[in-house]
Amino acid sequence: IFTMDLYNMAGSPSTRAIIMTAKALGVELNSKNVNTFVGEQLKPEFVKINPQHTIPTLVDNGFVIWESRAIVVYLVEQYGKKDSPLYPEDPQKRALINQRLYFDMGTLYDSFAKYFFPLLRTGKPGSQESLDKVNNAFGFLNTFLEGQDYVAGSELTVADIVILATVSTTEMVDFDLSKFPNVDRWYKNAQKVTPGWDENMKRLENAKQFLKDNMIEKLKV
Amino acid sequence: TIGNMDFYYSPGSSGCRTVLMTAKALGVELNKKYLNTREGEQLKPEFVKLNPQHTIPTLVDNGFSIWESRAIAIYLVEKYGKDDSLFPKDPKKQAVVNQRLQFDMGTLYDSFANYYYPLFRTGQPGTPEDFKKIETAVGFLNTFLEGQDYVAGDHLTVADIAILATISTFEAVDFDLSKYPNVDRWYKSAQKVTPGWDENVEGVQRLKDMVNAKKAEHKKN
Repeated sequence: IFTMDLYNMAGSPSTRAIIMTAKALGVELNSKNVNTFVGEQLKPEFVKINPQHTIPTLVDNGFVIWESRAIVVYLVEQYGKKDSPLYPEDPQKRALINQRLYFDMGTLYDSFAKYFFPLLRTGKPGSQESLDKVNNAFGFLNTFLEGQDYVAGSELTVADIVILATVSTTEMVDFDLSKFPNVDRWYKNAQKVTPGWDENMKRLENAKQFLKDNMIEKLKV
Repeated sequence: TIGNMDFYYSPGSSGCRTVLMTAKALGVELNKKYLNTREGEQLKPEFVKLNPQHTIPTLVDNGFSIWESRAIAIYLVEKYGKDDSLFPKDPKKQAVVNQRLQFDMGTLYDSFANYYYPLFRTGQPGTPEDFKKIETAVGFLNTFLEGQDYVAGDHLTVADIAILATISTFEAVDFDLSKYPNVDRWYKSAQKVTPGWDENVEGVQRLKDMVNAKKAEHKKN
């Protein structure tokens, strides 16, 4: 029996990155929802699987791996064709992709989450300083994309997929991408060429609706 | 063959020390170029040309510019390693190394920075909640190291080197590791087996001197 379980939260950017990567590879994932808003990740059965109890977590026939950017690379290496353009073997090409993945984790997604997630949870935005960091991060991405169709080299890679999951999250909030013309151009194209984009958008819309419903609850109080 | 490998760095920086130790482990000579980031030397046009994100560490290998310490470390192994032991090619073994590296960036070092960077800047640390996050992160590392000599598998990898750079940085602020017996054990052993440890110690001492200077400055005011 072949099992590939993905413990996930449907709308989370990290989950959407994995869904799109799996789609690009033709890999089927068995989705197991874990609602972290109510602490489902702290159930003993899950902590046994992942002692850090974070999602997304992939269990590939007993092999457990977490951290979305490690998962997407694993999927390509394990299930992609040899020297897949999604994560090519050449060390320099890989290094560029890896740098973009760490940029996403430590700078782009990090700044976005720190500013916007409090807004989504409490209705109150983060500080001006944290908003400045978001604009700085998008500014860097804009520079990386000067004269480039993709974020890391001349073809679609896992770096595009991961950064697409992050950038598409701006659809949930009031963030003007047109201030970053290279990012805007890349984003419009990425939607057309990235496998699983429709699924990504559907999950974003569901997440947006979920938050609307729950924020209305907050406003009532 | 190795030609010109310029390494832009600061000795106190944890990420820079990760690369220095990795290079030492591989027998790769770096042409070290010190950048004083507290005086904004990374913003000089010549450096921004090399790295538009103007961060350190940055490696320029015969014209190929790469940044993000963990991406650099992986690149050096893939390009110059005699074998793949520091960064295994096997997808599952590699995935575990990647997860540990991302844990280092996003959870372990991140918690350290959130609490202690204000201390470096102003003489005052972050909040008690921030400190609790450090304890939680080191707790996770302690769990990962249960019955293990290395952080990712059964031999030294770049994950050990990166996490060694991070944990040794905790020494600059006298963080008590003894409460985490697996980490304590691993840390004592890692110092003996990781190439370039002495240079790492020098860098941490520089950081410690800076921290103490900041504290003294704050006491005066």
